[in-house]
Amino acid sequence: MITIRENSAGHWAIRGVGAALLIAFVMWVPTMDYAGIGQVNDALIIALGAMALNLVLGYTGQISIGHSAFFGIGAYATAILVKKYEWSPGWTFFAGAAVAFVIGAVVALPALRIKGIYLALVTLSIAFMFPKIVGWRKLEWLTKGQSGYDSVRYDKLPDWPLVGPFPKGQQGRAEFQFWLSVVVMTVGYLVIRGVVRSRIGRSLVAVRDNETAAAVMGIRLASTKTLVFGVSAAVCATAGSLSALRTGTVTPESPNIQVLGSIIFLVAMIIGGTATLWGPIVGGFLYFYLERRLGDWSESGPLEFLFGWSKTSPATMIFAILLITLMFVAPFGIVGLAKRWSRKVISIVPAPVSTTVNTNAPVAPATPS
Amino acid sequence: MERLLQVIFNGLSLGSIYALLALGLVVVYRGTGHLNFAQGEMALTGAYLTWQFDQWGIPLLLAALLAMVCGFVLGAATEFFLVRPLGKKSPFAVFVATIALFLGLNSLDGAIWGGEAKAYPSFFPNKPDDFMRVFGAEWRYERFGVLVVVLALTGVFFLLFKRTKLGLAMRAVASNPDSAKLVGIPTNLVLMTSWGLAAAVGVLGGSLVASVNTNINQGTMIVIFIAASAAATLGGFDSPGGAVLSGLFIGVIEVGAADYFPEWIGQDLRILPAFIIILAVLLFKPAGLFGSARVERV
Repeated sequence: MITIRENSAGHWAIRGVGAALLIAFVMWVPTMDYAGIGQVNDALIIALGAMALNLVLGYTGQISIGHSAFFGIGAYATAILVKKYEWSPGWTFFAGAAVAFVIGAVVALPALRIKGIYLALVTLSIAFMFPKIVGWRKLEWLTKGQSGYDSVRYDKLPDWPLVGPFPKGQQGRAEFQFWLSVVVMTVGYLVIRGVVRSRIGRSLVAVRDNETAAAVMGIRLASTKTLVFGVSAAVCATAGSLSALRTGTVTPESPNIQVLGSIIFLVAMIIGGTATLWGPIVGGFLYFYLERRLGDWSESGPLEFLFGWSKTSPATMIFAILLITLMFVAPFGIVGLAKRWSRKVISIVPAPVSTTVNTNAPVAPATPS
Repeated sequence: MERLLQVIFNGLSLGSIYALLALGLVVVYRGTGHLNFAQGEMALTGAYLTWQFDQWGIPLLLAALLAMVCGFVLGAATEFFLVRPLGKKSPFAVFVATIALFLGLNSLDGAIWGGEAKAYPSFFPNKPDDFMRVFGAEWRYERFGVLVVVLALTGVFFLLFKRTKLGLAMRAVASNPDSAKLVGIPTNLVLMTSWGLAAAVGVLGGSLVASVNTNINQGTMIVIFIAASAAATLGGFDSPGGAVLSGLFIGVIEVGAADYFPEWIGQDLRILPAFIIILAVLLFKPAGLFGSARVERV
């Protein structure tokens, strides 16, 4: 086992390798064809939704099955503002996030009074109602009812420095969408990291572990929960805006807007790692790619002997088995497990406080013996 | 008057099924303190089993009973293999496991019986003219049958709670598991039985839903489960009587909203008024109408 001091040269070397791998991945994605980039974009959208959920569920312990509604708010905000009010798509991210922040904070109001399963069920009913409300006849002037919006997109791709200019056609759109996703993901990640690593983040964990004790220790439950629900909803809405621009269509039937979306975010978050910063990102990619492959593998491939009999794609069933197994062996998901294993090989310890020794300080005289 | 009677009757019939599933949720919650998100999908699996047994030529009533036995085993096994070991780790792990079971059972049903809807046999006469008129309202036999069966079963359940040794043991475990263990109640067995019973009544509920719908598919129980969990929330998760009353109430409100405001609410949004009422109630009584507020120790 190797022990490395925090912020020492060795620690920075590990961080450097990690950053280099990440940058290499980000630079490699746009070299794929547009279908490949499109898949990465879809995976990033799930990852962002899972990140938002992680803030509320993983760190604060408030069970929410309502994040598909916040996702839908973002998607609809973008669609409506772009198509009906002719905004530039970039600005709709802020509008969608702002609306979702307010609605998220309002949803948190009952959350101040109700806990645990009651909250889970209230958010579940919100997720269930959202597609029905946007498909409502009386709101057709705004949401276009069941048919929804289509061709929501940039009419002319903006010219971004460094990564542009983008080629024409689908390839260019996919590349631009990828860079847009990268920017939104980075902002979302930094916001969540900022919340989690700050004083607020520590109070969130305190609320999760024992709400009454946290309140007694002086944490303002009301403002903490309201804030965290609002931020989480806002981040989730940006994922919705991304998906509106990615697919171009926003209808009440869009998969992530239905209740199922909330469950997809939940599964991605748990597989990746609850209450870890990178878990939801890893989980989003794993969920997306496994979900696509598992069906084929079971029809004719490595899993045929197990699931060849299945009439429909057994992907969901395999995820269910995976989730239950994870709960037994690694409740903190793949990233949590990786962290625990890596700690057995390399442990990073905080530098001792006394490394900057003040040599001028008086030394205690040796006691005469 | 006719219209009101019609609404009340159809609402009670629909609500009785919510009540049945909500009762299952409450029984499980009182015993183990967990919400069984897979309750609806256990019911769906059971309803498919009823269909399968019926296809194999077993008389329908017997098929439903057999499916209920299978449901009991499924529920008890869930408690034994998942809820008990995971409950020792954290409530979150149990929450995830029931969500996983929800996904897994739904997908399993699709894998076995296929994604397309199947025609479902009816337990009661359901020809177009199978109804009686009461003050001008049509009381269809199938809906009346559902209501009677569910109310009878609920009655049996309450007798079981109040009058039998098992019911006494269940109440003891719900109120204080440690003391119950100390006085010699086989706590684990009681919990397994509660999960089994909850799943078994759920299976009957699922079969009745499919029978009234005259068909079954993978999505049949999701809406029903959401309404049933809303009923349990409104009534309070530790109150069986509250769950039944709220289930019936939600059914009537739902049917009434769709019937009286076809322009504004209609079939799509018909459950919305019930949800709004529940939210309002929860703001003032966070533990539901008949639930008792929990005192927490720090």
